Amino acid sequence: MPRDDSSTSKPFLATDRRRLLLGLGAAAGGTLAGSLCPAQAARAGTTSEAEHVADAPLGTARLQQRQPFHGPHQAGIVTPRPAAGLVAAFDVVVQSPADLERLFRALTVRIAFLTQGGRTPQLDPKLPPADSGILGPEIEPDNLTITVGLGAALFENRPWLRPFKPKHLQRMAGFPNDALDPELCHGDLSIQFCANTPDSNIHALRDLLKNLSDQLVLRWLQDGSVPVVAPAADGEKQSARNLLGFRDGTANPDSGDPATMARVVWVGEANDEPAWARGGSYQVVRIIRMLVESWDRTPLGEQQRIFGRKKVSGAPLDGRTEADVPDYAADPDGRVTPLDSHIRRANPRTPEAREHLILRRPFNYANGVTKSRQLEQGLLFVCYQADLEKGFLTVQGRLDGEPLEEYVKPIGGGYFYALPGVPRPGDYLGRPLVEALAARPSTPS
Amino acid sequence: MSEEAKAPGGRTPLRLAVLGSALLAVAGAGAFYDATLQRGTRAGSGADGAYRVAITASACEPNVLSVPAGRRAFAIDNRSDRPVEWEILQGVMVVEERENIVPGLSQTVTARLAPGDYEMTCGLLSNPRGRLHVTATEASAAAAVAPTLKAFIGPLSEYKVFLGLQGAELLRRARQLAAAIEAGDLAKARTLYQPARLPYERIAASAARFADLQDAIDPAAAYLARREQDPAFTGFHRLEYGLFGDGAAEGAAPLVPVAERLVADLSTLNERLRALTLTPADLADDAARLAGQLASARIPAGEDRYAGGDLADLEAGLAGIGKIVGLLEPLVRTTAPAVADELKSREAVAEAAVRRLHGPDGFPSYDKVGADDRRALAAAFQALAESLKKLNPAMGLA
Amino acid sequence: MKLNRLLAGSALALAVGLPGLAAAKVEPSLELVQPLADYKIYISEKLQKLVDDTTAFTAAIEAGELDKAKALYAPTRASYEAVEPVAELFGDLDAAIDARADDFEKREKDPNFTGFHRLEYGLWEKDSTKGLAPVADKLLADVTELQGRVVDLPLPPEKVVGGAADLMNEVAASKISGEEDRYSHSDLWDFQANVDGAEKIFELVEPLVAKDDPAFVQRVSANFKTVDDTLAKYRAGQGFELYDKLSESDRTVLSAAVNTLAEDLATLRGKLGLN
Repeated sequence: MPRDDSSTSKPFLATDRRRLLLGLGAAAGGTLAGSLCPAQAARAGTTSEAEHVADAPLGTARLQQRQPFHGPHQAGIVTPRPAAGLVAAFDVVVQSPADLERLFRALTVRIAFLTQGGRTPQLDPKLPPADSGILGPEIEPDNLTITVGLGAALFENRPWLRPFKPKHLQRMAGFPNDALDPELCHGDLSIQFCANTPDSNIHALRDLLKNLSDQLVLRWLQDGSVPVVAPAADGEKQSARNLLGFRDGTANPDSGDPATMARVVWVGEANDEPAWARGGSYQVVRIIRMLVESWDRTPLGEQQRIFGRKKVSGAPLDGRTEADVPDYAADPDGRVTPLDSHIRRANPRTPEAREHLILRRPFNYANGVTKSRQLEQGLLFVCYQADLEKGFLTVQGRLDGEPLEEYVKPIGGGYFYALPGVPRPGDYLGRPLVEALAARPSTPS
Repeated sequence: MSEEAKAPGGRTPLRLAVLGSALLAVAGAGAFYDATLQRGTRAGSGADGAYRVAITASACEPNVLSVPAGRRAFAIDNRSDRPVEWEILQGVMVVEERENIVPGLSQTVTARLAPGDYEMTCGLLSNPRGRLHVTATEASAAAAVAPTLKAFIGPLSEYKVFLGLQGAELLRRARQLAAAIEAGDLAKARTLYQPARLPYERIAASAARFADLQDAIDPAAAYLARREQDPAFTGFHRLEYGLFGDGAAEGAAPLVPVAERLVADLSTLNERLRALTLTPADLADDAARLAGQLASARIPAGEDRYAGGDLADLEAGLAGIGKIVGLLEPLVRTTAPAVADELKSREAVAEAAVRRLHGPDGFPSYDKVGADDRRALAAAFQALAESLKKLNPAMGLA
Repeated sequence: MKLNRLLAGSALALAVGLPGLAAAKVEPSLELVQPLADYKIYISEKLQKLVDDTTAFTAAIEAGELDKAKALYAPTRASYEAVEPVAELFGDLDAAIDARADDFEKREKDPNFTGFHRLEYGLWEKDSTKGLAPVADKLLADVTELQGRVVDLPLPPEKVVGGAADLMNEVAASKISGEEDRYSHSDLWDFQANVDGAEKIFELVEPLVAKDDPAFVQRVSANFKTVDDTLAKYRAGQGFELYDKLSESDRTVLSAAVNTLAEDLATLRGKLGLN
């Protein structure tokens, strides 16, 4: 049955009968279907129809959630983190500034379409289809954001780009506890996909690979998820848990406060960076394996001392709720919160620690089984900051030797520079860099 | 989201729904009409065999018509008082139409119709549409299962491969023959003559298309005014005459330019064969023509007057026909298995008729083949030719 | 023409209407007959060379000439790799001739593991011709059988035209990683042979698509040139250096060109009206 083309812009005008029922039910109940988990939504929405195992799970209004593509910064950095994330790193075929511009423009076209949604082109069936079709003919935005970052390798391997490298951008070097697998590290370019459902991320990735096959060569990727929680009875916001069972992101700076973000996340005039980089941010990606079997065999008290928080509530060891701020001054010897606990090392809550804040945006991953028949699970750690040295490098340096290291093993990732945003239609991603390249003093070739 | 994508708004599904219910109504009415279905009758007035349909002020008469599939003519009489348009519709698609039929006049509309249900417009758009039921016929059934053009691309290209390989082999052998003649080694040339002819016979079905080359490469003295002395007596048989016939008395010298010219002509033949565009129907047509020509002329009279190698030539010609049979037989089998069976059995009979004459030392010289044997050969090749002629109609190519 | 190039930088960047993305023909044309015939002749020549080369290769194994057998392994395979679209029409022979150990549950130990890679395993991993004679006999019998089956086979046009993309998919999926010839590391020979096979098909049908889509032809030709030029850097003697010599940056260039060729050549069937 043909779908109403306006369905993407008017969430409750869906013509699919079940979705219509769902929409009415949600509206009548006075709640957004989007705030329910899919199973609840399905029960709320369909009473008259038998459901079958193979039926697609019913979409909710969340399918129509859309993040703006245009703006001073790329979406997907201070955007509230949806349930599914995927980071892919690529090597690129770029041998000249013209190649770079072509890549940026092509990425812009695809990202603008994918994040805003719309109908896919229908071709003659004798041809391969233009779209993978995994989301059907109509692409719902599904809260998708696509965030592009540049790796140090892109600059360093091209003499004409070298002078334009952001000051702190560097190849990720292993920390003492790292066991980096070269096949899971670095890259010329990173793309972070975030959406309500993993399928939207996979669809977007396949779209980019198909349409940009002449310039993008996949190097590694890791996907992950954020556990969905039922709203707390008291309405209090809670951080999501990682696969060690602890809340992660509690002490994140307030991503809803532009002033804080301007200081912590966005590169601005205060940062000693090339002018083209303003409005961008340093992106750190780390694939951190967690030895979950060993962890689950560790006494709860020890787990809590290692993290420095209570497992159930997420409260600091000297507090009651997750939002409580630990009082380290009252505990100088670490009797309550050990000095080497994760949260105390990561953020000692001293005045100068404010200089080292980072915006964490991690996802949990589960990849199957290791050769030793252990679960291959962990954290796809992603964070953003205006200064890589003061941010992640300092924080991770403080964490060296923390007791948690017995249970975690970083195996991959890389450092990238997330490009500034595309301010308006007609503009394209990375234009300031392309223009800076064009204005460079001519060098003998 | 672009403007284009949003533009149609929410009205489309509604329109579709209305259309859907309209179609349902038509289908319901159709069930009723089926009960009163009237066989179409040829128009009484026309000797043209057209189906007569009268358009009145409110409907077609008859309003339900059944005709067999194929090319059909309809005589449309406008008995209403205004100019009308008459159309045959399949769904929303117009199959055939005639506009502006003036009141009181008749017009003939011809349409090629495949089996299925159609509608007729009958005068005013508000008039109910008539129904046209097109029934299947043997021919339409054959056309429906006939191989598509695509099915011939593989066999045609495979035949072109055959032409290319045989053409190349022909040229290679002709060059060896020419070299022996140029060296004055007539004994060797005599052993090379017949093998050099064989590839030419294998591709005769196609080579015969080029009359100028055919006349240069393979003319028989019997068709020339001055026979062996005619300056147009060139090609294979001129060499045969000089190697095996009375011409042998003159030695190698007169044969050298003939052999050179033959090589040049065969080289031209290869170029022409490569450039030749064959259509699907050409394969069976060319094979049938060759088989018929062998049966009617070559077998009764013989052609290799001086060396007597006709049976080897026949065997090679039959192999060339067999190549085509092998390529077409699987296609024919899907539409007309009986035709395929007959073809294979007649091919086998013709092969046997030739092989039967093969002795321990090879084929006898053709002057040793008696009238009865020649008649049997001719009958077998003629039967094969008849069978080959049935292939194109059976494959929907007629 | 690729979507992104069509729309790059234009105000239409967000349009999803995309007319003329790629045009397909309704029906194939008889213009395909001659290219297909030429392809058959190409295949026949390659198969003849395969049989000749395999005869010499297996003779070396049976004579216990280890170094000679090693030297003949990669060039012998090349003819097979170039005609893979046709060879793969016969699943039984393809498995017997070219299966990899991964295709078998017991890997290298599996008794059904035969053909080129079984010989490669013996010659390099075991560094010996010992026990390989029966495998060599079987390989020669199989490639001879393949040649025989192809002689009178009318080639399905969609398989031939589709074969160009299949070859590039094959390169993208297993040659670019160096996993095909894991014992001898002679993957670049196979790589070049697959590319040659795809390029041959493209060249034969190129005149048929050139008039409708010159930009397509130009892009495909440019990508073939990129691949050929990049591989040419690794030529050594009559063949190629070992796979490990391939630099990471060249591997990236090859990957992008091969993937784009695979994408583009996948539209050839439709462009020629073949389903």
